[in-house]
Amino acid sequence: MTAGSHYDLVIIGAGPAGMAAGIEASRGGLRVLILDDQPAPGGQVYRHISQNAVRREAVPYLGGDYWSGQALADAFAASSAELWSESRVWQITGDRQVFLSRHGAAQSVSAGAILIATGAMERPMPVRGWTLPGVMSVGAAQTMLKTAGSGADGAVFAGSGPLFYLTIWQYLQAGFAVRAVIDTAPAKMTLAQYWLALPALLQPGLLLKGLRWRAAIRRKTDYFVQATSVAITGEEQVTGLSFTDAGGKRQTIPAEHLFIHQGVVPNVSLTMASDLAHRWCSRQLCWHPRTDLFGESSVAGIFVAGDGMGIAGAAAAVSSGRLAARRIIARARGIALPMAPVWRLLKWRQAAIRPFLDSLFRPPDEWRVPQDDKAIVCRCEALTKADVAAAIALGVSGPNQLKGYCRAGMGRCQGRMCSLTIQKMIHDHGGQPEDKVGHLRIRPPIRPLTVGELAALANDDANA
Amino acid sequence: MTMPTPRERIIVIGGGIQGCAAACFLAKRGQQVTLIEKDHIGRHASGVNAGGVRRLGRDPCEIPLSLAAMDIWTSLDDEIGGHADAFHPCFYLKVALDEAGHALGLARVDSLRQAGFRHEVWLEDSDIRSRLPHLSGRTFGGILVEGDGWAVPWRIVQGFARAAVRHGATLVEDCRVLDLKRDGEGWQVNSSKGTFAADQVVNCAGAWAAALARRAGEPALPLSPHAPMLAVTDRRPPILPAVMGVLGHTLSLKQLDTGQFVIGGGVRARADLDKNRGEVAIPELASSMRLATTLFADIASTQIIRCWSGIEGYMPDNLPVIGRGRQPGLVHGFGFSAHGFQLGPAVGEALADLVMGRQPRVSLEAFDPRRFESAA
Ligand SMILES: Cc1cc2nc3c(=O)[nH]c(=O)nc-3n(C[C@H](O)[C@H](O)[C@H](O)COP(=O)(O)OP(=O)(O)OC[C@H]3O[C@@H](n4cnc5c(N)ncnc54)[C@H](O)[C@@H]3O)c2cc1C
Repeated sequence: MTAGSHYDLVIIGAGPAGMAAGIEASRGGLRVLILDDQPAPGGQVYRHISQNAVRREAVPYLGGDYWSGQALADAFAASSAELWSESRVWQITGDRQVFLSRHGAAQSVSAGAILIATGAMERPMPVRGWTLPGVMSVGAAQTMLKTAGSGADGAVFAGSGPLFYLTIWQYLQAGFAVRAVIDTAPAKMTLAQYWLALPALLQPGLLLKGLRWRAAIRRKTDYFVQATSVAITGEEQVTGLSFTDAGGKRQTIPAEHLFIHQGVVPNVSLTMASDLAHRWCSRQLCWHPRTDLFGESSVAGIFVAGDGMGIAGAAAAVSSGRLAARRIIARARGIALPMAPVWRLLKWRQAAIRPFLDSLFRPPDEWRVPQDDKAIVCRCEALTKADVAAAIALGVSGPNQLKGYCRAGMGRCQGRMCSLTIQKMIHDHGGQPEDKVGHLRIRPPIRPLTVGELAALANDDANA
Repeated sequence: MTMPTPRERIIVIGGGIQGCAAACFLAKRGQQVTLIEKDHIGRHASGVNAGGVRRLGRDPCEIPLSLAAMDIWTSLDDEIGGHADAFHPCFYLKVALDEAGHALGLARVDSLRQAGFRHEVWLEDSDIRSRLPHLSGRTFGGILVEGDGWAVPWRIVQGFARAAVRHGATLVEDCRVLDLKRDGEGWQVNSSKGTFAADQVVNCAGAWAAALARRAGEPALPLSPHAPMLAVTDRRPPILPAVMGVLGHTLSLKQLDTGQFVIGGGVRARADLDKNRGEVAIPELASSMRLATTLFADIASTQIIRCWSGIEGYMPDNLPVIGRGRQPGLVHGFGFSAHGFQLGPAVGEALADLVMGRQPRVSLEAFDPRRFESAA
């Protein structure tokens, strides 16, 4: 095969971590390429930022945090890092070849170092009815707001987590009516959580923001706290949802548009497909790639930064991107990067609020495994909890073996939407620890790749 | 019921199709069988292969075994009951896309005829197009085998494993055989789950089998592990009621009953026996993709949803090792060189024959483990 061009550093993902690393590394004299499948840089949190910046008066509701990304995006645009947008990276290899599809054909580039900055994804929420038309994730609602300024009037929100409150607040600021908010976080803090709140006080801005969002929500919507046993109703289309409120009463709320959310987890598609080592994080209840302080993974020369290495938010993502870039620059120059303890402290300081948030918004079991037997677990193959449970009962020791019994995880999402649920179900059934149960094996291509695009790679071959 | 042969303790190592089929036939004939698998049944080549059930294109020495296997495939429910519905017989067609392929195909059909085999027949382009109206371009004819087809591999393997258990075999999964020692008249099998005693041992450990044979004190056998790769696409309306290949190339192409295409054939990635996994190097599949789109232009727009590979053992002559070991009470069945799935049922039966000292249905001479000794 023809070898593509070579870069000192190839970054995958142009969110805060990727952009910060790109700026830093190109300042350090490296030849940098950054790949992103979106049309413009920004990632999830600063999505569409350059386009929105020129019409800032029209979209004031996005809030200060969003606009704080503009300086980063500007610095990135001014840097010498090369950006390929609408580029879907579908495989990277241990010898640091990056394969991608762009303009309808597959191609490859080679890299001195690779930084995976593919961010977070929303934790799937398999409750009865979550696949009905009209039900969307809160993240998808926020994307619509950022890219098109559009939203649904009279929508209902159910769930919890920082992104949950932020999006509702943005919705309200944008002038959309929110019919009801069903908060599934336990409202009473435990003693342990008061302790965890102490380091969180190092980040008072974040804490205050959270309180402000919640106050606005309480004021402007029908706000239910401590909701449990949430069930979505509807046959062809969502018609509403029911839940048990804080007082133990069953409530039913009609809804045409329902947005649900239960926190975010690292998007490990690429890190897993690339065979990097991972560890189960019992605090965040998700898989993290194993890295050193600088973000270098178990495979030399492949780094991870941002929420993809563990959920820590945009500011921490910027620092981790920078830190990885400095390490990569230093290595290219053949020098050591001093002062590890300083970095360590900085890292802790920036994520000081995390243990508190993780504990406060820890998804309850009922959001990890559906209570209702008829709830869909594997969307691609349309398998219900009962289907999967029956297969597990045949004596399955892990999610990969399960595939041979019921096809769960064999569809096009490769288990992105069901792996965490299946893992928990096998754990609940057999009792082995979750990290031993393991994740569904993720194999490239991790992004859509057509037969024709791949065939084009062979044409290059013939011409070479 | 009378038992002509004594009931022996047989340990079968390896829960792939060969091991499961051997365990099934041995248990069915009244032997006391324990099947030991280091992972789970069908975890490796046998569970993840392309599922091609083909007699077409076999090495002439392999044809009798392949035909014997087909006899079992066509009445598979006798052996594995309901799991037999995982086999979908249709026809296998290997077309020529140029003059060279045409010449290759005609010569092949001719030489088989002379050897007395009539299952491969030549079809002209017009006949091919009436069978496959969705074909994009014209062909230069092709070889047809009626009744070949495809199967969902893991269901077939599970079928044999369950049939073995039904006949009284014991299944031990997550158990790795560490080594084998002669012990009086029999064997002592040391495993991660303790020691087992056996009168005879059947080595069906796939890509790991040569190393295991060494541990049992057998001469070195030249097996190399590789990981052939496959890709599966999203669902499309049915256009391909057959399994297809291209003469002179290693493509294998089929459309499952779900509408998904499975594309692969011959392209191998690296296999890591210690880590227990095969790599996936998608770019290597590019030429198979190009051939697939040459046959059916519409396939170009389908999305590849998953690629995978399976670890398989290859022998230098691409023929399996099936036969008695140097030492008493040891029978080998491995090294299927990426075409052993279809053979599985007949291999299982032949291994049972070898263990029990019966004359196998077909000659196994070409597969003798000793064939490599003189060459060395
Ligand atoms: C991608 C791919 C596509 C293929 N396509 C086709 C096709 O279309 N048609 C066809 O006919 N053939 C095909 N093949 C070939 C076919 O799959 C193999 O020839 C066949 O499955 C080999 O069976 P086996 O039982 O020897 O090996 P395996 O299925 O590999 O079984 C060996 C088993 O032994 C176990 N084992 C190893 N060491 C130990 C130990 N020490 N202790 C306990 N257990 C042990 C392993 O875990 C493994 O499960 C394909 C193979 C691959 C990989």
